[in-house]
Amino acid sequence: MTEVAIERGVALVGAILVGITATVQLKNDWAARGLDATVTKVLLGLMAFGCILALLAAVNVLGARA
Amino acid sequence: MATAVGHLSDHEIVAQRYNDVDPVYGETRDIRLVGFVLFLFSDCILFSSFIFSYVFLRLQAPAWPPFLNGHQLPWFDTSFAAVNSIVLFGSGVTMHFALENWKHLNKAKFNGWLIATIVLGLGFLGGQAHEWTTVGINWTDTTMGSSFFTLTGLHGFHVFIGVCYLTILGIQANRGVYTGSKYFGLTAGTLYWHFVDVIWVALFFLFYIW
Repeated sequence: MTEVAIERGVALVGAILVGITATVQLKNDWAARGLDATVTKVLLGLMAFGCILALLAAVNVLGARA
Repeated sequence: MATAVGHLSDHEIVAQRYNDVDPVYGETRDIRLVGFVLFLFSDCILFSSFIFSYVFLRLQAPAWPPFLNGHQLPWFDTSFAAVNSIVLFGSGVTMHFALENWKHLNKAKFNGWLIATIVLGLGFLGGQAHEWTTVGINWTDTTMGSSFFTLTGLHGFHVFIGVCYLTILGIQANRGVYTGSKYFGLTAGTLYWHFVDVIWVALFFLFYIW
């Protein structure tokens, strides 16, 4: 197994775990009110989006270079 | 009770939980919170200026990656960056857990999650250091090199400051500076760390995916 394959595997598993956890946290905090809660929700949502990007990069859908 | 809680902010709910409603603290906390969010917004503008410079330079380039001395520069290593990104995003989740545990007075768990956040932050910095030394281009090698080192360097500096910030917050928390209902510093630290995570989402996309 190559180094790149290991990195992609780690990134894939990590992206799924972190993405799901971030999404669950976002869901749990959805009803929270106040400026800090609102900003946290926006940032958590963007972080979950980042996990999707990392996941797609790990499976070579995004960032695939010739 | 549900109706009474319905219009309260998250902080007010926690204050009620510990029977520690302090109007003066609440008022100053709100002012400080607005100030901190404005600081994050100004930092966002700082990053935006560099990001738009990079986008402009890239769109103006005849080829990307650009050529240097007749050879086209290599793309950045997406797979390693994906792992490093997950390390940083994971630290955002652990920091969120740390704050949630503080709100529920689970000090041991708070310390554990905070230490995990700091370790992951240091891990990300180590990954960045590794990438800087193995990326194969220099700061002065075309707009690609200068943009990459400027933006990732600026972000890495923010991560480093964040690690120092969280370490200080951890020391303060264990010295009794914060209570179950008065913990604005921890809230600000969490917001800062999430912000640093989100900036990396943009940089990850721009340098490794686009």
